[in-house]
Amino acid sequence: MSYVIPIGPYHPALEEPVHARLYTEGEEIKDAEVFIGYNHRGIEKLATQKNFVQTLVMVERVCGICSHSHAFSYAMALEQIAQMEVPKRGQYIRVIIAELERLHSHYLWLGIALHLIGHDSLFMHSWDDREAIMDILEELTGNRVNYGMICIGGSRRDISDEQRKNVLEMLDKIEKSNARLKDILLSDKTVALRTQGVGILTTEDCLRIGAVGPQARASEVAIDVRKDAPYSCYDEFDFEKAVFNTCDVFSRVVIRILENIESIKIIRQALDMLPDGKINLGNKIFRIPAGETMVRHEAPRGQLCYKVVTDGGETNKRVSIHVPTFKNAPTVPTMLKGNSIADAGLIIASIDPCFSCMDR
Amino acid sequence: MQPYEKKFITKEELIPVAEKMRADGVALAMIHAFIDDEGNANVSYEFQKDPSIVSCTIVGESTLPSISAIYDLAAEWPEREIMELMPITFEGVDTGKRLFMPDSMLDGQGQILVTPMDKLKKMAGTGGDEA
Repeated sequence: MSYVIPIGPYHPALEEPVHARLYTEGEEIKDAEVFIGYNHRGIEKLATQKNFVQTLVMVERVCGICSHSHAFSYAMALEQIAQMEVPKRGQYIRVIIAELERLHSHYLWLGIALHLIGHDSLFMHSWDDREAIMDILEELTGNRVNYGMICIGGSRRDISDEQRKNVLEMLDKIEKSNARLKDILLSDKTVALRTQGVGILTTEDCLRIGAVGPQARASEVAIDVRKDAPYSCYDEFDFEKAVFNTCDVFSRVVIRILENIESIKIIRQALDMLPDGKINLGNKIFRIPAGETMVRHEAPRGQLCYKVVTDGGETNKRVSIHVPTFKNAPTVPTMLKGNSIADAGLIIASIDPCFSCMDR
Repeated sequence: MQPYEKKFITKEELIPVAEKMRADGVALAMIHAFIDDEGNANVSYEFQKDPSIVSCTIVGESTLPSISAIYDLAAEWPEREIMELMPITFEGVDTGKRLFMPDSMLDGQGQILVTPMDKLKKMAGTGGDEA
């Protein structure tokens, strides 16, 4: 029997609003469509009405998880247009927060994936670790999300010696639990049965559709903006691109675990080498000349692009935001085909979708 | 800083340029567009030739051929989005359904980036109809 099964836009298996339509033969998904736009807020339109400082605050609210990535990217674009040199200490602090953000985002995704798999005890362990990261982010920035750490020309807050010690202690804890999580995830039968061979995105399909970030790296496509087009001070750190080759949901689990290890390495190096000096260019209103540029940033979910056009006035002429989910969501129908209906929620979640980002 | 190189191309050059980029293994990072003060459409195809971005820009053409046959959904979704935001169309793209905007908003035709904010505010809360 053929069925058309609608999922969402509001559904218990989905963390954010999206509508998927599954075309099935019995339990098997033969085809699928994805419909987006349930969260559209017109942020690109609003950016043409706001000044640069207001826009910086606004773009940080595009997403609750990768808020720092949005502010980081927008500020980099303005700094590139105005040819500003951000002080080294400010750059290091930006990177430390970006990697802490990646860690908490990856732990968030691991928890959701484990919950959907049906491994709720590991889901709670994963989110327990995430809490430690969120507590450190609150200590460093004053906020659990929307950190407000970016200002045009640098970072808004410094990191004290005591805070540095606390971050290192948290990393010791996370590193141990990440190693334990890795051992369990790589050997657990429930995880293997629910993820291996499920939701396959081949390397060819990944390249054809243009997926980015962990989604691409889990399909053996070795792309990472931090390595391929280094920005800020990423070229000063020793870390690896995490790539895995099974192209299924299991591969996407492994990638997050491996990337956690690399993020911990980067934060440790940044704290160890944190230069002395200023963290920003001072508390003043900068004049942004007419110009345009595009910057790319490796957000937790993949390549985040900001293209900014200015005309020498006080507002943006145009701000285009292309987020990783916009690149990864089109892979969902391909991944769903041939799988069972019961796996649809997990496969959709496996791209680590952020519809708040995508709809912006 | 990531290098950024801007080139101006013509509408006729778009398909050959995109085909060459694809053949060279260059990814399409994004398609960006806006309407300038003179009312001209500016459409930029941002190709990522790591570590650089090569921005191929076409000015003054409000109808362009789609490059979705070359870059698949990496081009089709941005093209559909641009068509919803401003009066620029891409030939060969299915516009049967909107990608982002509610089908009822602005009669399913208007584009929010070129609609004045006061008009959009009036429509807020009315399900897309003008108050």
